[in-house]
Amino acid sequence: MTKITDLSTFNAVREAGMAKLLPPNPRIAVGMGTCGSGNGAEAVYHAFADAIGQRGLSITLARTGCFGFCAAEPLVNVWIPGKPLVILQRVQPNDVGFILDELSAGRVPAGLALCRVDEWDHITGHVKYGTGLQEIPLWNEVPFFKGQKKIVLRNCGLIDPTDIEEHLAVGGYQALYKVLIDSNPVSIVESIKLAKLRGRGGAGFQTGSKWEYLQRAKTGQKYLICNADEGDPGAYMNRNEIESDPHSLIEGMIIGGFVTGATEGIIYVRAEYPLAVHRLQAAIQQAEEYGLLGDNILGRGFKFHLQMVEGAGAFVCGEETALIRSLEGKAGRPTPRPPYPAESGLFGKPTNINNVETWYNVAPIVVKGPAWFAETGSPKSPGTKVFSLVGKVLNTGLVEMPLGTPLKTFVYDVGGGTTNGRAVKAVQTGGPSGGCIPQEMFDTPVDYESLAQLGSIMGSGGMVVMDEDNCMVDVARYFIEFTHSESCGKCIPCRVGLDKSLYYLNRITKGKGTEADLATLDDLSRMIRDTSLCGLGQTAPNPVLTTMRHFRHEFEDHIRASRCRAGVCEDLALSPCENSCPLHMNIPRFLQLLKEDRLEDAFVSVVMDNPLPASTGRVCQHPCDDRCRRSGIDSSVNMREVHRYIADSIYNSPRFPDVVARVATLRMAPTGKRCAVVGAGPTGLACAFYLRMLGHDVMVYDSNPNAGGMLRYALPDYRLPKEVLDREVELIRLMGVEFTFNAAVPAVISLNDLDQRYDAVFLAIGTWKESWVYLPGTELTGVIPALPFLEAVSKREKVPLGKRVIVIGGGNAAIDSARTALRLGSDVTILYRRERKDMPAIPEETEAAEAEGAKLAFLATPHRILGGADGRVSAIEAVRTTLGEYDASGRRRPIPTDEIVRYNCDTVILAVGESVDIDFAKASGLKIKENGLIEVDRFTLETSRPKFYAGGDLITGASNVSNAMGYGKKAARNIDKRLTGVKRWRELIPAFTYNMAVPAHPSDAARHHVGELDAEERARTFSEATVGLTTVEAMEEACRCLRCDVRNGDH
Amino acid sequence: MSKAKVATVWLDGCSGCHMSLLDIDEVLIDVVQKADIVYGPLVDAQEFPEMVDVTLVEGAVSSQDDLRLIQKIRSRSKLLVSLGDCAVTSNVPSMRNNIPTKVLLERAYVQGADVNHRPPTDGVPTLLRHAVPVHEVVKVDIHVPGCPPKADAIAFVVTELLSGRKPELAGKVKFG
Amino acid sequence: MPSKISIRIDGELINAQSGASLLDAALAAGKFIPSLCHMKGLSSVGACRLCVVEVAGVGRLLPACTTPVQDGMNVTTQNDKLRRYRRTILELLFAERNHVCAVCVSNNHCELQALATRLGVTSVRFPYTFPRVAVDLSHRKFAQDQNRCILCTRCVRVCAEVEGAHVWNVVSRGVGSRLVCELNRNWGDSRNCTSCGKCVQSCPTGALAEKGFAVEEMTKRPEPISRLANLRGVHS
Repeated sequence: MTKITDLSTFNAVREAGMAKLLPPNPRIAVGMGTCGSGNGAEAVYHAFADAIGQRGLSITLARTGCFGFCAAEPLVNVWIPGKPLVILQRVQPNDVGFILDELSAGRVPAGLALCRVDEWDHITGHVKYGTGLQEIPLWNEVPFFKGQKKIVLRNCGLIDPTDIEEHLAVGGYQALYKVLIDSNPVSIVESIKLAKLRGRGGAGFQTGSKWEYLQRAKTGQKYLICNADEGDPGAYMNRNEIESDPHSLIEGMIIGGFVTGATEGIIYVRAEYPLAVHRLQAAIQQAEEYGLLGDNILGRGFKFHLQMVEGAGAFVCGEETALIRSLEGKAGRPTPRPPYPAESGLFGKPTNINNVETWYNVAPIVVKGPAWFAETGSPKSPGTKVFSLVGKVLNTGLVEMPLGTPLKTFVYDVGGGTTNGRAVKAVQTGGPSGGCIPQEMFDTPVDYESLAQLGSIMGSGGMVVMDEDNCMVDVARYFIEFTHSESCGKCIPCRVGLDKSLYYLNRITKGKGTEADLATLDDLSRMIRDTSLCGLGQTAPNPVLTTMRHFRHEFEDHIRASRCRAGVCEDLALSPCENSCPLHMNIPRFLQLLKEDRLEDAFVSVVMDNPLPASTGRVCQHPCDDRCRRSGIDSSVNMREVHRYIADSIYNSPRFPDVVARVATLRMAPTGKRCAVVGAGPTGLACAFYLRMLGHDVMVYDSNPNAGGMLRYALPDYRLPKEVLDREVELIRLMGVEFTFNAAVPAVISLNDLDQRYDAVFLAIGTWKESWVYLPGTELTGVIPALPFLEAVSKREKVPLGKRVIVIGGGNAAIDSARTALRLGSDVTILYRRERKDMPAIPEETEAAEAEGAKLAFLATPHRILGGADGRVSAIEAVRTTLGEYDASGRRRPIPTDEIVRYNCDTVILAVGESVDIDFAKASGLKIKENGLIEVDRFTLETSRPKFYAGGDLITGASNVSNAMGYGKKAARNIDKRLTGVKRWRELIPAFTYNMAVPAHPSDAARHHVGELDAEERARTFSEATVGLTTVEAMEEACRCLRCDVRNGDH
Repeated sequence: MSKAKVATVWLDGCSGCHMSLLDIDEVLIDVVQKADIVYGPLVDAQEFPEMVDVTLVEGAVSSQDDLRLIQKIRSRSKLLVSLGDCAVTSNVPSMRNNIPTKVLLERAYVQGADVNHRPPTDGVPTLLRHAVPVHEVVKVDIHVPGCPPKADAIAFVVTELLSGRKPELAGKVKFG
Repeated sequence: MPSKISIRIDGELINAQSGASLLDAALAAGKFIPSLCHMKGLSSVGACRLCVVEVAGVGRLLPACTTPVQDGMNVTTQNDKLRRYRRTILELLFAERNHVCAVCVSNNHCELQALATRLGVTSVRFPYTFPRVAVDLSHRKFAQDQNRCILCTRCVRVCAEVEGAHVWNVVSRGVGSRLVCELNRNWGDSRNCTSCGKCVQSCPTGALAEKGFAVEEMTKRPEPISRLANLRGVHS
């Protein structure tokens, strides 16, 4: 190998490199960064090597770096001369034979392809691979890469990082050559300044200015340092850059050396990155061998030496002064600035430190000029930034985007949203020192200033996406735990302040925090931020400050209600299922009691947790299913159906009276207090039951002639037979709850009357007002709202329904209407403006409706209803929509197209949402919120009027049965506390003794699904459409439970 | 004008703060004229009264009994004053805090004993893991540091309180 | 020849030597800025953060001990926020170790105590940590009690910069940081210690003390060391 001393030797090496990159035969390059190797790329590489050797194929095999799409690793590049480069994804060793077969036959294994690259802009160079293979998407047509601009990652995953010749082939060291020939250091600094390149380590200081300070320093020895001590959890862009393209870093530093007059460069790299260390070492050696580094670079007499130092893993050594102390052999503790490193740095000499990524931007600016660089990104922050997008997104990986790209592009477009369909809650940017940005603020452009405004930082570019399963208090606690253990201990605010912050956060996550703790935590965090010595301490409180600012309600939940909605804080939840249940049923308990063959105990357990177990056992949205840990093994335990089974078994047995008597013994002694409940729906019934069990006298008022509310008048019989509901209401009545029917409030009884007669009043009126869509034609005969329709059918009234029915909406009321209309003999089509996955209805219900013959049309927004001369509906027209940008709910906004679809019909059922008829409350001293709902204290459910409480739909808007009942239960608890002045709730629930051990052998049976009648048969009748579990099935489901409620110390 | 009800209580401390309280000389006469001492080591009452205007607490919270007592006192007192370093910082009682209680009792009652080589169990309150300042377990309105607090400081606090003012001690008393 | 410049501290115009730190300039002009890690004659480390001040036109707080004076600087050393922050820092120090002043040799002669009193601390809001830390009585003349150490590193610096013996250092990190003698030896086994006692005299609390003193008996005299250091031009 020759030293490069002039243009001809330079070009000779380039050509040699290009011949390796585009050989005359097919080429395979396996992506072997740490990420690829971790996913089995080593095995893939060896499988290729063995097979090529055995078959004697004329195929070039090489290693390359990482192309950035971590979720699709191992990535393998295949290239056939004349054709585009194709990147294959998730390649396994057993794919190797097939891939070689295809390549040998001159084909590309398109089935494994992620994307193709026709030509590649290496910025400093250009490679044309070939054309054709149109069936494979171009790389930037793949959602993950769309919008990405690879400047820093220009060579990553395309060249062999261990081969300097390939690097030269794509334009490497060309910038250095130019700089040395031009020999005008001042103009280079000027370019960097004009390009407004800002430090990519996080602080965003102007790189050009920093270089200028060093350039002007008038001492002999100067140092350049590359900070490759990447220590943020979840951030690994620097690792990949070095592993995939070490020479671009070296080139950037040599140019920096020439420009600033430094002759010594040091790369401070994490020892935990062995592959990066290895490749960098090899690259430095190669560069020296080729005369690109050392005493006489490119024969121009310029001297620059580069060495690598491995950091010992202290996070604080990412701070420049601590890093310098560490290089000097001292303890890695920061020192105050001034003096700045440019004045007195390493060994007291002028020193410049830049982050890895900053150095990668040098050669492109030199080659293409500052104007080109400034074209990308935002005016204040030009260029791109590499982010590691991790957490709860489908597509994880390294993403290089122009600065100023909105956050939502990262999360939804590049990241593809969440893996599990749950809503994204926040993004943590900037690693442990960054802040959490809530979903409502995802329009924020990602640049230094915008993030700082939200209390976060750019940092090194970590981006952790969090969804509903993340508890923001725990997130804050986690990051403080990290910075606490990484604090160097030199200054007091950071050393002791973080220790005490952690104390308060731990206390809050254990449910032992107080509201005063929040104030103290806030004070403490500000003090740490404002007075700490270095960047670590100054930014460490960011996670606390931002989560307290944007997610204060979660802190309050932990403190005031001892609840962690995400179910992360284990001390606050019995089990994931209990935590997710709006009624907080002790699910593991009733499963275990059933397992122990104690059906009556199980019933008492169930009914004391949930007074309508048979109804909810049929119609609950079962959030418990989503949280069940068993779903990590096969599928969740069918908890809803087990409590339906338990309830049905008792309600239908001759033992019913005895069991009722047993429940009655749990009732507390009479208190003499009188309570009124307005509304006999599920919310009111739940509250009435508990108030009665707590010993109060309870009267329930309802405008209808019978109890049950929506359960009776909105839910069709095939979902909930009314006999089931009757049995449950009977139990509540037997406990001593009294009812006054046909008594509307305030028409029959005024709130003032209630105020005078009762010690406490609970308002639980449902959402009986159907929302109306304002589109032409709704005045026509045959347009009917869903709820009155369902109510009329349930009351066995005659409903004039046409032959062809269109239902508008995607919620449960829409599906109920559709299935009811089917049973009345109509042909039914449901129009929904978004996609199927966005439907709020229970998925099983939608499936059942489809099985029964309902047709579904998605992405269709009603436009107008057409009528005939008789004033009757004749057709409906809908605008076909496509999906646009993500809206505040994290769903894509439907965008209308020009296409109009027409459906002939004679009835249109509107099921677009229900609301509360709030008029009664306005005149009665109850504060109403802007959204038309009653204002209550979130924790006690007290309204603005003394003695009056409200819950359920009145405060949330249309919701579902179990949510509503949860409010009834909570209201009873708080009303009782107010009436008696003591907390008696815990005494109400009887103690059961049952096995508290984790089952050694949980049943390995598959989940038992509820039985369904044949679709055609059930679609003709209002009899119940499902059949509950059998005794054996219910028992087996109970045996599938893993008992998350058992804690270590329990046995 | 009815007399204010004042209580004093002695938790884990040496009684030095009570001594210092008695050292306020002629101010005592003032106190007795304006207030009744309704509970404490200086008087006879066995049960802490229902409503007390001011309670002065000496000593750290070191045992289960201390904890229960101070919680009861807090709920029955309008103003709670931590009197002296043991109440304010947990001071000397806290010196045992970095020794596990079991080891501590062993050392004192087994290794250090001549007779009856076992920790007492009957009639002795269970030690808390840590002896802590009063404000770590209940809300404290006024802190009067000092070991013991100077009689002048106590006199100032008492006089101010009996005149219906909240004494401001910052900068007036030695801390630590 | 250092020139004179003028700066404004809390509204008052004062003269200062250019090149001096803000803290030295303020102290020379008779202004009080609290500090614990600073000691005249030793290098400044900016560790205790008690001396943070506001400088007009600077968005963040600056430690007076490591900020050089600049002509025309307008400095605020006292306001509610600074007082609150400083009190908080002192409270954190008391909560960190086991400062049982009542039994301390330096009681009533302690800089930490004096500052707490002066800044109006009457209680510590934060829960006490009660760590188990070492007491080293192995040295013939001196005692080291880490219960009272605030990690100001005056001893580390005085030993390195004035005595030149490099006996003291800080090991570990975060709240686990501890003062160590050489490579974690007992003080009595030190190979470098000259038993000069400068560390003891420099220590602001009772963490380093002479043996043979009882409670409240130990007083310290750091001034001669500062004078010596200044004479030798260690850190002017």
